Amino acid sequence: MTITRKKKARRASPRAAKPGRRAQNKERTRKEILKAALELFSKKGFFRTTTRQISNRARIAEGTLFNYFETKEDLALYFFEQELAGLTDWYQSQTKLDRAPLAEKLFAIIHRHLERITPYEEFIGAVYLRALQPVSKLNLLSLEAHELNVRYLRFIQEVLREAEEAGEIPKVGDFGAYAFGLFHLAIITYWLQDISPGKENTLALLDRSLKIAQSILKRGTWEW
Amino acid sequence: MVNKEKPRGRIGRGLRIGKLGLALTGSYLGYQLQNLFLGEQERPERRKSFNRKAARQIRVELESLKGPAMKVGQILSTQFHLMPEETLSELAKLQMRAPGMHPSLARAQFKASFGRFPEQVFRALDAEPFAAASLGQVHRAVTREGQEVAVKIQYPAIRKAIEDDFKLLRSAALPARLAGHATESMIAEIERGMLEETDYVNEGRNIELFRKQLQPLDYVRVPTVHWNLSTDRILTMSFISGEPLPDFLTNREPSQEMRNRIGVQLVELFHLQIHRLHTLHADPHPGNYLIEANGTIGLVDFGCVKKFSAGFIEIMQAFEERVWLRGEQQCQRMARLIWGPGILVKPRLAREHLKHAIAFYEMLFPGLTGSRAVVDFGDTKILKTMFRILNENLRNKTVNPEFAFYARAEMGLYNLLHLLRARIDTSAILAKFESNRGAAVHNGEPA
Ligand SMILES: Nc1ncnc2c1ncn2[C@@H]1O[C@H](COP(=O)(O)OP(=O)(O)OP(=O)(O)O)[C@@H](O)[C@H]1O
Repeated sequence: MTITRKKKARRASPRAAKPGRRAQNKERTRKEILKAALELFSKKGFFRTTTRQISNRARIAEGTLFNYFETKEDLALYFFEQELAGLTDWYQSQTKLDRAPLAEKLFAIIHRHLERITPYEEFIGAVYLRALQPVSKLNLLSLEAHELNVRYLRFIQEVLREAEEAGEIPKVGDFGAYAFGLFHLAIITYWLQDISPGKENTLALLDRSLKIAQSILKRGTWEW
Repeated sequence: MVNKEKPRGRIGRGLRIGKLGLALTGSYLGYQLQNLFLGEQERPERRKSFNRKAARQIRVELESLKGPAMKVGQILSTQFHLMPEETLSELAKLQMRAPGMHPSLARAQFKASFGRFPEQVFRALDAEPFAAASLGQVHRAVTREGQEVAVKIQYPAIRKAIEDDFKLLRSAALPARLAGHATESMIAEIERGMLEETDYVNEGRNIELFRKQLQPLDYVRVPTVHWNLSTDRILTMSFISGEPLPDFLTNREPSQEMRNRIGVQLVELFHLQIHRLHTLHADPHPGNYLIEANGTIGLVDFGCVKKFSAGFIEIMQAFEERVWLRGEQQCQRMARLIWGPGILVKPRLAREHLKHAIAFYEMLFPGLTGSRAVVDFGDTKILKTMFRILNENLRNKTVNPEFAFYARAEMGLYNLLHLLRARIDTSAILAKFESNRGAAVHNGEPA
C-alpha cells in the first residue's frame, strides 16, 4: 500500500522540484496559455485555433508564445503532462481505493482520466489523429512523448506492484504496465466514438474487460 | 465454479450454448418424467440423483451466460410441465442478475445517467449496495432534505446487452430442445418484457399507480418516487423498512396468529389486484415482500406489471360465479375462454380439463362447498396437489396465455403462504370481493 504514497516526491516533475521565483512565474504563464488554448480548442476546435488567437486570449505577444511552446503539439504535450500529474495526485488522495481490488483501482484511474478530459473531447480526438503521423512530436517515437509515456508507465507499474505484493495477481513486471497502457489507449479510442447516453457503453466495456483481465491473471490461464 | 466470468462476445457465448446443447442431448434428454410434483418416495432415488446432476450442469451453464438465455431458462422453469422436478428446482435458482458494481462503477454510472455524482446531490449515499437487483443494485442514501431513500442503479449498457443477446438467441444457436419450446413469439415477448424492465421511469409510474390503488389496504406500504433524483436508469424511492419474508420468518419466528394474519393480507392483496385493479404486481418473489414486526407488508419491485384484458377478467368472473353449476352450455363457454375454441372439438378433454379446474377452485375455497373453511397452506400435500392440477391444466398448448400467467402468479402466492404455514379462511376473503364489488376492504382478520 505504502509504496505509491511514499514515492510521491519522486514522481513530481523535475521542473517543480525546486522552483525559484522565475521558474514559478514561467510555469504560471504556461498554465495560463494552456487554459486559454483549451478554451479556444473546445470552442473552435484544435485545427482552427490559431496561435494568434491563443496569445490574444492569454494576453501575451505572439512571439512570447513561441518562447513557451514552439508548436501546438508542444502545447498538447504539456496538456498531457498536466493531466498525468493531476491524475497521479488524485490517485494519491483516494484513500478509499487503498483496499479496493485491482480491477476497481484501474477502473477508477481510467474513469477519472475520462472525466478530466471530457470538456476537451474534440481536442483529444484531434491530437489522436495528429499522433498517428510519424513526424509528430506526439508520436510515441518522439523523445518528448516517450518521456511522458515512461512517467505514465511508472505510475501504473506502482499500482500493479501493490497488487502483486498483496498476492492479488501474479508478477506481471513491466509487461503489465505496457499492456495496460495499450488498453487505456484503446478505451479512449472507444470512448471518443461512444455515442451512448452518458457514454455508458464505455463504462460497461471498461468494467467487464478489467474484471476479465484480472480473473485471467489470477487463474493464469486463458480458458473461460 | 458456478461464478465463472461471463464469456465475452458472441463467439464465447455461442460456445457456451453449444456446450449446453451437449449437456442437454447428452445426459439429460431422453428423460421425460411425467408427473412432476410426486413425492420423494414415489421415484427411484438413483434416477433422481442422475437428473439432479444434469440439472445442476444446465444451471451452471446458463448461469455463466448471465443474460437473456438465462432469463429464458428461468421462464422455461415456470413452464413446469416441460421439465422434471429436479431441473425445475435447479432452474428456479437462476435469477437474471447483472454483474455487481464496485463503488467506483456505481458512482460513475450514476453520473453517466444523472449528469452529476451522487455526492453532489445526496447528503450521503452508501458506497456498497444493500441489495442486488436483476439489472443493477440498490443503495441506501439520505437526501439533502434528510429523507431515507433506496437508490436503484442500473448496470451500464444493459439495454444494449439485452438486444445483442437476443440477436444471438434468434440466430438459432439454442439447443433444439430449448428452441422447440421457446417459439419466436415467446422470445419476442420475453425481450419486450425485459426491455420494458430496463426503463426505471416506467417502473416509477407503476409504483405511483399501485401506491394510489392499494391505499384501501392500510397494511400495505408502497414507496414514493423521488422523481427529481431519478432517471430511466436510476430510481430513487422512499426506503421501505422491514425484512424480506423468508428472513422475517427465520429471525422473528412469528406466532401462528401472526403468520395467519400476514397470509390473509397477502391473499387480500392478491384478490384486490385481480378483482379490482385487473393488474398484477408481477413477481411474487419472497424478497419483494418486506415484513415489519407488526405484520404490515412493504411492497417493492414494480418493474414488471401485468395488466389483464377483458377476456381474462371474464374467466375470473366465470370462476367467481361458479358458472359450471349452471349447466353444460356454461361449462363449454368457460372451457372455450380458457383453452380457446379448439377445445370444444374434443369434448372429453374439455370436460376433463374443466373438472380439474373446478376441483382446484373448490380445494382452494373449501368454504364454498363443504363444512371446513380453513385451508392449511403449511400442508405440503395440499400444495403438491395444487401444483399438479395446475400443471395439468396448463399443459394444453392452446391455454390462454394470460390465464397461464395468472396461474403461475397464483402458485407464487401459495408458495408464500406455504412458507408462512398460514391457515386461512380463503372463502371469507373471496366473499368480501364478491359481495362488495368496488368498495374498500378493511384490514381483515380471518373470519
Ligand atoms: N424502496 C425500497 N426500500 C427498501 N428496500 C428496497 C426498496 N426497493 C428495493 N429494495 C430491495 O432491493 C431488492 C431488489 O429491488 P427490486 O426488487 O426492485 O429489483 P429488481 O431489479 O426488480 O430485482 P428482482 O427482480 O430480483 O426482484 C428488493 O428485493 C428489496 O430487498
